[in-house]
Amino acid sequence: MPDARWSSVATVWAILRKECRSEWRTRYGLNAAVLFAVTSLTAVTFASGRMPDRPDLLSALLWITLLFAALSSMSHAFVREMESRTLLMLRLVASPTQIAVGKLLFNLLFLCVVEAITVPLFLVLTSAPPLRLPQFLTILGLGTLSLAASSTLVGAVIAQTRSRGALFAGVSLPLLLPVLASGVSGTRAQWDGMPIAADARLLAAYAVALFGVSLLLYDHLWED
Amino acid sequence: MIWRLLIFIWIAATMVVALLVAPLVPVLRETTRVLYFHIPSAWVTVLALGWSMVNSVLYLLRRDLRNDDHAASAAELGLVFCVVATVTGSIWAKSMWGSWWNWDPRETSIFFVLLIYAAYLALRGSIEGDEKRARLSAIYSILAFVAVPPLIFVVPRIYSTLHPDPIINGSGKIDMDPMIRWCFFSMLLGFTFLFSWLQSLRVRVFRLERRLAS
Amino acid sequence: MTDAPAVRVGGSKLSHRYGRRTTGVRELEFEFTAPGTVAVTGPNGSGKSTLLRILAGLLRPSAGSSSVHVGGREHPPAARREVLGLAAPELSFYEEFTATENLVFAAEARGLEAPARAAAAALDGVGLAGRAADRVASYSSGMKQRLRLAFALLHEPPILLLDEPGSHLDESGREAVRGVVARHAARGLVLLATNDPEEIRLAGRQMELRGHGLGDPS
Repeated sequence: MPDARWSSVATVWAILRKECRSEWRTRYGLNAAVLFAVTSLTAVTFASGRMPDRPDLLSALLWITLLFAALSSMSHAFVREMESRTLLMLRLVASPTQIAVGKLLFNLLFLCVVEAITVPLFLVLTSAPPLRLPQFLTILGLGTLSLAASSTLVGAVIAQTRSRGALFAGVSLPLLLPVLASGVSGTRAQWDGMPIAADARLLAAYAVALFGVSLLLYDHLWED
Repeated sequence: MIWRLLIFIWIAATMVVALLVAPLVPVLRETTRVLYFHIPSAWVTVLALGWSMVNSVLYLLRRDLRNDDHAASAAELGLVFCVVATVTGSIWAKSMWGSWWNWDPRETSIFFVLLIYAAYLALRGSIEGDEKRARLSAIYSILAFVAVPPLIFVVPRIYSTLHPDPIINGSGKIDMDPMIRWCFFSMLLGFTFLFSWLQSLRVRVFRLERRLAS
Repeated sequence: MTDAPAVRVGGSKLSHRYGRRTTGVRELEFEFTAPGTVAVTGPNGSGKSTLLRILAGLLRPSAGSSSVHVGGREHPPAARREVLGLAAPELSFYEEFTATENLVFAAEARGLEAPARAAAAALDGVGLAGRAADRVASYSSGMKQRLRLAFALLHEPPILLLDEPGSHLDESGREAVRGVVARHAARGLVLLATNDPEEIRLAGRQMELRGHGLGDPS
């Protein structure tokens, strides 16, 4: 029914706007995330120094930094909802899938903002060789899609457990290792002048698979 | 009772034959013995993972806690067999190639499976309430299912191009002597029976615990 | 809101327990039709809130089933939020937003045609028009309770589920609740979970949940 689909989009859009406004009003999530990203970035680049001729190490370090930044900043999306007890209100105005997709889009935006600050800083601090920008951004973008998809669903699950933050990284890691591997491989390939098609395809397929399966699972998230 | 005895005799007999009577593979020499334990363990690990994931899907569809019992118990047993497989694999690697760990594709795969099991069980341990625990861990299990094919088939390949060490996969192409083949498949079967028997025990314990609690 | 000739809420062998703790929601069999008000009563912990959450489609019961029919169509649990409004003590709003922003968001998410107008009307109906532009963080518990009522009424649902609606309210607030219930019960169905004798008096029917055993509609 086209009507239902359109109203779903409207609902997701309303939730996304709410998230953005909420984040903008309080801003502690973004501040903490950026601070953490810059801190870990500084630690990594300080310890490793300039690496203008080591694309292999650079790719690995970049993706590890991104991974940690994502893991630390993504767990809060649903935890905040639980802590402020507003999940009930959300569940009364939107379906679980609409809520989750709205959060997913927000997490995606959030990660993009964090990466926009972290990645250029990384490249400067390590004196990285020049990028092939389209290829680099493709790999980064596709990897970020998977990061967001995984973090949204895992975050929603973890928010209902007792341990929360401690568990989030450990539970997310197996799901994110493929992103790490293909991301590192693809980033290194673009620095080595090699084609990124294989890695890009893998990242895209993985993101699609994660999101597709998530869509089937969202409805089971909240039943009490 | 009779099953317990049969399984015991089966595995014991296979072990005796495997360790004492069966010939050695030329390349592997004495280390041949490991393959009777290492590969069946790895096989059971994968079997358990599959069984656990199937039951996770069944739980979400049917909401029968028995499916959750099976999923949880298979995960616990799978973890045990995974540790066995990883450790025996590492010992084998040490004696064959001189180092405990090489990030060889197969080693990497089994390690990833270990991570999934550990994450799943850690998640279960932090949720209260039978239905909630069953539901949320089923969600994670199905999500992990998406990650398994890339982790087993794709990532190790990427890894070996990232770290290009020429490593000969010892268990790749062995022309098996008939006696070895017999022992091997017999052990495979024996381990499978062992898993299904342990699984049935564990599932019964879960059910009794629930009945006791209510 | 048009007339809702076939508005029914029912339960069949409905039971729920939390772990090993059973509630008064035990093998419940009931059917309530609009118009009118039903009081769901029982001691604390007997499962009044649980029952409302099950009917709202938020909680999956341990056993049995509930049904909601509006306009001759059955609404499965996943879709019930469209035809009912719930106001419960656990309902919290975004403290960093104003009341208006909270309700406008709710209206947009629900797909209402004129979100701002619906929000303003709802707030006006509970006497919060004057404080609509204040952040919820600055609200007293009484005002938050009125906001919950406004939220439940926002989309003018045929079925209203109210869990202890008079709590935190002064006399004028409780008067407002009585007015809301009376207006709503004229055409739709109101389920009131309460132990307050005044509120019970508002209801034409009563269902008592007991700690152990069956609850009989009387």
